[in-house]
Amino acid sequence: MLEVKDITFSYGAHEALGNITFDVAPGEILAVVGANGAGKTTLMRLLACLLMQDSGNAVIDDVDSLTRPIAYRSRIGFLSEKCPLYDEMTVEEYLTYRLKIKGERQLRVRRRVDEVLALCRLDEHRKTEIRLLSYGYRKRVGLADVLTTHPSVLLLDDPLAGMDLPQRKQVAEVLTSVSGRSSVLLAGHEIQFLLEWCTRFLVLHRGRIVGMHRVRDYEKDVLMKKIEHQLTYGKEDGGAP
Amino acid sequence: MSALQVTWLREVRTFRSSFAGYLPIVLFLAVAGWTFVMTLHKSDGGVLQIQTIWGIAVSPWVPLLCSVLTMRLFAEERATGMIDLLLSVPARERELVFGKYLAALTMTVIGVTASLVTPLVLLPWFAPALKSALHPVAFAMTWLILVLQSSLWCAVGTMVSVFFRNQTLAAVGSILLCGGIPLAFFAVVLVWMPELRLNSAWMPLITNVYDFSTGLVSTFVLSIYVVLTGLCLFVCSKVLAMLRLGS
Repeated sequence: MLEVKDITFSYGAHEALGNITFDVAPGEILAVVGANGAGKTTLMRLLACLLMQDSGNAVIDDVDSLTRPIAYRSRIGFLSEKCPLYDEMTVEEYLTYRLKIKGERQLRVRRRVDEVLALCRLDEHRKTEIRLLSYGYRKRVGLADVLTTHPSVLLLDDPLAGMDLPQRKQVAEVLTSVSGRSSVLLAGHEIQFLLEWCTRFLVLHRGRIVGMHRVRDYEKDVLMKKIEHQLTYGKEDGGAP
Repeated sequence: MSALQVTWLREVRTFRSSFAGYLPIVLFLAVAGWTFVMTLHKSDGGVLQIQTIWGIAVSPWVPLLCSVLTMRLFAEERATGMIDLLLSVPARERELVFGKYLAALTMTVIGVTASLVTPLVLLPWFAPALKSALHPVAFAMTWLILVLQSSLWCAVGTMVSVFFRNQTLAAVGSILLCGGIPLAFFAVVLVWMPELRLNSAWMPLITNVYDFSTGLVSTFVLSIYVVLTGLCLFVCSKVLAMLRLGS
């Protein structure tokens, strides 16, 4: 379980995130939505230990990111927005390398790689060099990398960007299937599509949470309008901010 | 397998399978061999021993080799964005730094060792009369000081690589730090205190090679190299940690 308490972060004098508090339980898929510059990527990077908050803390299963950073990092799987990969490696080599550097036991490596290749439908590309893959497939390799260690929390920064609809549906299926054992936190812009399979929405506006909605509590059209309104105005009741 | 071993293995494989790994070593062997032959030719009838000539011929090229081999270590990761994925794994920064550093050092040591072919294989073949002048222990001591110097240059190069995204800038930076800045500093000091010239060698690093090759092994010099290498790697891992939190 991921618990985020009162996190604040500034880039110099500019406050990028203010008083961010929420939690994500296993089985949940929390979509973080917001306009460009709302603070989605900053939040993801903070939770992935790639930035340090000015105040507040992030805790996974009672492990704090500041006091036990290595134990914390062993519980997360982070997919960055640009999804960089080692182009010269094959898909299988890359996943094997990543698993080993994450400290996975030698005996489990092969099994885990086979497992995620099947899960992400990358089996036929196992021996393909990454440089030859399309953008959508590269994203899937990045996703496979995140899933290899069965982390408690998945942090996915814009995982659907650049994918066509069938690929998005496949990613949604994969994330839904792994959400039983992991809490999933993903940032994205595709609200309509996310509404189909995410369980909760967190709306960010200028670095602040302006809405937290459980999908099952609303009609999808109503929730869509509500979120769009909050994205535009930053508050629930409309009007200029 | 620890993160250090995995990183080392990955980097060595990258060097082994890429042009960027082979080409600098081939060029290094060519220029070091050429310098050795020219120095040997010039010192014909002089007092220098063959292992000293080899050490003095190879030593100036080692910083260049190290700079080229280390320039991509972190600069490439930063340019491609892989640094984010590298820093989000549950490993300490120093394991990643040491893994990459040891890979560059491995390649440099291979280059330095391969350069022994010229004095130990080719020279006796072309000039059998010189075979009796080759002393394995003296060559081993010369090799040791060259490896110590390589370890320092690789540490400097690894440290500089963390500061840049551009590999060329990283290489230029480490060349400056390895040779340019110390020499310029020494030249300026000599302008102000010319009497130092009598007490200090113009090229202390070459002097170290000369001393070791003639059996004057100093634990002080050994310690200096080890401490400076450790310092550079320490700075490197701290900068990487700051990069994680400040990026």
